[in-house]
Amino acid sequence: MPKPVPMRQMPQIAHVDVNCFYASAERAFDPSLEGRPLVVLSNNDGCAVTRSPEAKALGIATGEPWFKLAPRAKEWGLVAKSSNYELYGDISSRVMELLGRYSAWLEVYSIDEAFLGVKGGPDDLLVLGRRMKEAVRRHVGVPVCVGIAPTKTLAKLCNKWAKNNPAFGGVCLWEAVPADVRELLMTRLPVDEIWGIAGRLTRRLNVLGIFTVQDLVSADPVMIRDKFSVVLMRTVLELRGTPCIPMEEERIGRDQLIFSRSFATPVTTAAGLREVFSVYGQQASARLSKHGLQAKVLTAFAATSPFRDNEQAYPSVCVPLPMPTADPLLLTRAAHALLPNIREGLKYAKAGLMLTDLRPTGNQPPLEPFENRHEERGIGSLLEYVSHRFGRGSIGLGHAGIKSGLDWSMKRGMRSPRYTTHWDELPVVKAA
Amino acid sequence: MGVIVGPRVVDAGASLFSVLISPVAVAAGFPSPAQDYFDGRIDLNAHLIKDITSTFVVRVTGDSMEGAGISDGDELIVNRALEPKDGSVVIAVLDGELTVKRLRITGTGVVLQAENPKYPDIRVPALSELTIWGVATRCLHHV
Repeated sequence: MPKPVPMRQMPQIAHVDVNCFYASAERAFDPSLEGRPLVVLSNNDGCAVTRSPEAKALGIATGEPWFKLAPRAKEWGLVAKSSNYELYGDISSRVMELLGRYSAWLEVYSIDEAFLGVKGGPDDLLVLGRRMKEAVRRHVGVPVCVGIAPTKTLAKLCNKWAKNNPAFGGVCLWEAVPADVRELLMTRLPVDEIWGIAGRLTRRLNVLGIFTVQDLVSADPVMIRDKFSVVLMRTVLELRGTPCIPMEEERIGRDQLIFSRSFATPVTTAAGLREVFSVYGQQASARLSKHGLQAKVLTAFAATSPFRDNEQAYPSVCVPLPMPTADPLLLTRAAHALLPNIREGLKYAKAGLMLTDLRPTGNQPPLEPFENRHEERGIGSLLEYVSHRFGRGSIGLGHAGIKSGLDWSMKRGMRSPRYTTHWDELPVVKAA
Repeated sequence: MGVIVGPRVVDAGASLFSVLISPVAVAAGFPSPAQDYFDGRIDLNAHLIKDITSTFVVRVTGDSMEGAGISDGDELIVNRALEPKDGSVVIAVLDGELTVKRLRITGTGVVLQAENPKYPDIRVPALSELTIWGVATRCLHHV
């Protein structure tokens, strides 16, 4: 009997994400937090947004308000940290840059997860997954899990298995999991554990007798399309191994905005990317304004084309903004910090911005996009002169740049040092 | 180890797909007779940092590494991607703290040495029982 031909050339998708990202970033610089229950709190130290496994084991739920946890923290040995977005942004940008060395087809999906296009036989892919996992842990200091599958939805599912089943060793390759094990795992997993399924949709599926992932896989895609949507039909097809979720290039979430585009013609110069980022800065600003948000941390990245050339690069930079802002000028300038990392002559096919540490705008009137009156009056050069002479933070536009700025209103009493972005907050090592 | 290319390094050893890239001079602007001799100003980042993605700067507190020229208040450039070897100055995790020591790997075991006679050595049965956070490559000593 002829052996089936393996589909070695079919591209696969690797989904890489950092385990308990904010908690892991904290632990990377403070080993005393290792093994202790740890929660990272939302803006204003409101509620737990990230929980270490030890905190989960205590029964602490996501979103649990800190004022309820605080009275028992001592008894539990629970440590709480305020969000340190500058640290998380920088660690994220290091992780993405590192992953970009393994595949130029890289989609930054959120601050702590990315999809990568990868190719190879099952053994190669498993080796690749383990290498990426080991490299991120060692080079950057945070643990990741990897799921590799023919579709994005399955790659995410495999990642979840890798996280929840120690037997996978943190890397789960769809085609390496025996069919009966897959079915068992899918039968055990509630349907709302699937990417894109939550809340009301779950209840509507339950009414139709669809409770587990396996139920959804077995459902008729056409019925799903008619009763629900094309989007959910795509999920069913993806679960059956047919790729149909394309690259998404713009997403605004509760705590981050990602704005990225692929270029029709590759950009090969820093000057070209300067223009690109000027446009993106304005567009991202408009998005933020539309949602009534401001950002405090910006990450700019670019990627070479995976198809056109051999030389690949994935430069990325994290820039703490002087104040929460949606100002196109400030966002653009911050994004330009990436330009020194651009290698002239490489063919960049994609670039993007990620804005994190988002918060509501408050009462100030939004700035007009494209308005740039300060520059006309030569205030820019004056500001630079004063900052140069008297130090950064000595002068700024409005609230911009002034130390503490608008941040006085933000409660962050338990924030760890900004270890990687501020010279006066470096990690301390003992020589004793 | 990687190859320096502009501000960024491709660590060929660490990646399955990365490609070795040789530095290429790029002609820019009006040709000058001096252009063959001018490669830009000294760039401390390029000189001191081999791989920016895995490099961190830490501050030293204490005097146990004086003998290695590392003083209280100095900054160390630490590359987490490097393999710790016998003789490396490493940042190790000891009792939940980041600690700088000289690593000695001998036939009889692993020793974390202080470079100051006032401090005792710490013996470890094997390297695997030790968490090495990174390898220090440079000390920024305050003079």
